[in-house]
Formats: sequence, structure tokens, C-alpha cells
Amino acid sequence: MHIPDGLISPQTYLPAYAVAAPLWWWAGRRFGAQVGDAALPRLAVFTALAFLLSTLMLPLPGGTSGHALGVALLALCFGANTAFLAYTLVLLLQALVLGAGGITSLPVNSLAMGLVGAWTAVLLFRLLRGIHPAFAVIAAVWLSVMVSATLVALVLGVQPLIAQAPDGTPRYFPFGAAITLPAILIPHAVIAAAEAALTLLVWRHARRRQWLVAAQ
Amino acid sequence: MTITQLRVQHRHRLLAWLISVVVVTFVHHVPTLLVGSALVLLVSGSGRTRLAWQALRTVGPVLLLISSGWLVMGALSGDVNAQALLLINARVALLALLTTWMVRDVNLAQALSAWPAAQRWLIIVRGQIRLFRRLASDHRLARRSRSSVRPTLRQRYLGAAAVSLAALDKAVHNAETVTQAMRSRGALHD
Repeated sequence: MHIPDGLISPQTYLPAYAVAAPLWWWAGRRFGAQVGDAALPRLAVFTALAFLLSTLMLPLPGGTSGHALGVALLALCFGANTAFLAYTLVLLLQALVLGAGGITSLPVNSLAMGLVGAWTAVLLFRLLRGIHPAFAVIAAVWLSVMVSATLVALVLGVQPLIAQAPDGTPRYFPFGAAITLPAILIPHAVIAAAEAALTLLVWRHARRRQWLVAAQ
Repeated sequence: MTITQLRVQHRHRLLAWLISVVVVTFVHHVPTLLVGSALVLLVSGSGRTRLAWQALRTVGPVLLLISSGWLVMGALSGDVNAQALLLINARVALLALLTTWMVRDVNLAQALSAWPAAQRWLIIVRGQIRLFRRLASDHRLARRSRSSVRPTLRQRYLGAAAVSLAALDKAVHNAETVTQAMRSRGALHD
């Protein structure tokens, strides 16, 4: 669900940078304490996995693309802060190496998918794990993807309202939330279900191998 | 050209790309954006057709969907605003050209040489991505060479799951081995 460069206005991405920068700094400061030396190679592998998952993109009518994220997997295995930081690096690498996503849309993508996606997954998992761990993983991943998708759809949907020419024509993304919400959420409901199944598979494997860093 | 000059050159190119991308998002004049795209193609040297094609491949599907949606909505409401459509297409196309040019001509490892931690992270993650692709390709070819009949969808899913987990184990093992080797040689002590 990356937003490419050029679709969101400076009125959106400049404040987003102002919000994201201190959060990146804060997550970076906590990174060393949360991820020990032994877990670093595993984090590198899972980050590479998230990178590969999110490169398999399908363009969606909402001006973005559909693909698995891998951020919930990172969050359930390594914690929300680490997942936020790792996913920001994934997005940065995609912008710099593949030209996917973008440098102006980086903070919006990072906050919507990395921060909100990761925290949604972790909080829901903690809330639901008492019922059944597998159910908790599936529900947490599905809802985390849907929440991130909703945020991306809303950010795109407000562009015609906040960035117009004097005659009222949109200067950036032209469709309102009434179009972006269904256009992005409906395909992502299916993508999120597939990602939930994939995450459960890898999460169970990681738990068996005792790779999990995040408190379970 | 010395290695230091080369690193500085790549750093300057990366910085120029960052500045130009931000500047372009403030431009709302379609002819200026089109001239910008023409200039990028002119200055980027040989391989410009390939550059244009790669940029188009990156943003083409998204632009096509936005444009067709905008045209359909305009046709339904009886008011097609071509100016807005041109502006979005011209801006996104120029940004894609700039980024594709940067990806082609900037050596990121050289550009990040002033920041060893960032450079090291880039190399490790790139290595992991390459390793994953190699493992996936090896397993796909191995499965194909051992199967005389086409597997069912269920068999393909089960096979893919088993292969993915085996590849994950192998990738983690490789990453741990490489990290230990680097650490024993003092590479991660700073």
C-alpha cells in the first residue's frame, strides 16, 4: 500500500516528517536495549523478508498498491518499536534501490504501516492471546493491515481538500475518501487474510526455534 | 578519478536527487514539469530509452488507474478536468524519472561512505535480499527438476510453505555465521 512520490502534498508530508523524525530517533535510542546482539542477524533476515514481501506489488485503483507488508510479523517477533524502525528502513531501501514508494511519501508510509501497523498488531495480540495464540496472531495481523490501509486511504482521500488550485482543481491526488476507502480496503481485506496465514506460519516456526524477542 | 572523489560525487548526486524531488512537489506548472522530464532524459546520457521505460514501469500502472478513474468520473459528471490530470501525470512522471536516474547512476554504498553504520546496514540487508532470492530460486528449480507431473494447488501451497520455512532457517543460519565471522574479525566493534 505504498504511496508513491508526487501524489501527496507538502502540506501532508512536511508535518508527517515533523512527527516521524522524533519517533525514529526515539525508536533508534531504544533499539539497542530491545534487540540484543544475538537477535541482530535474525532481525536482518526478517527485515529482508519484509522487503521481499512488499516488493510483490499489485496497483490498486486508490492510487496506491496492494502487497503483503511483513510489518506485523516483525512486530510480533521483535516488538513494535523495532518493527517500526526496521520497516522504515525497508521503505527507505525500496525508495533508494527500487524507486518504489518515495522519499517525500516516506514519513506517511512509515507512520501508517510501520508505526500504527506494528502497534496495532502487538496490542491486539496481547489482548487476544488469552483466547488462543493462533487466533490472536491472525486477528492481530488482519486488523493491523486494515488499520494501516485505512490510514493510507484517508491520507490520500484528504489531498483534494487540502491542496487545490485557486479554481478548486486538485493539485495532487484527485479522489476523495469516498473513493479511496473502498478502493484500498476491499482488496486489502483479502491481502490481509493471506498475510495473516503467512505470518502465522512464520510466527509458529520462529516460536519453535525460540527466535522471538518480543514478550509473548 | 580517486576513490574519495568518486564517493563525493555519488554523495552530491544523492543530495541533488533529494533536493530536486522536494522542489518538484512544489511545482504546479505543467510545461515546466514536461521540460524537466525532457531535460532529465537529455542529460541522463546513453540508455535514456531504458530509463524512460523503467520509470514508466514503476508508475505507469498507478497513473493509468488514476487517469482512467478520473476520466470515467469526469465523463459521468459531464466535466472532465484535463488540467488536473496533466499536472498529476507530469509531476509523478518527472519524479519517477528522477528516481530511476538516481537508482541507475548513484552508487549508494559509495554515497553513504561518510556514514559507516548506514553503509554497513545497506550492504547487510542487500546481501540478505540477494540470499533470499537465490534460495527461493534454488528451491523452485529443485522442485521443478524433481516433479514429472504438475502439482495440485494444495501441494503447491504445502510445498511453498515447507520451502519458505527451510529457506528461512538457512537464511538465519547464514546471517548468524556471517555476523560471527565479521565480529571475530573486529568488523562490528565500533
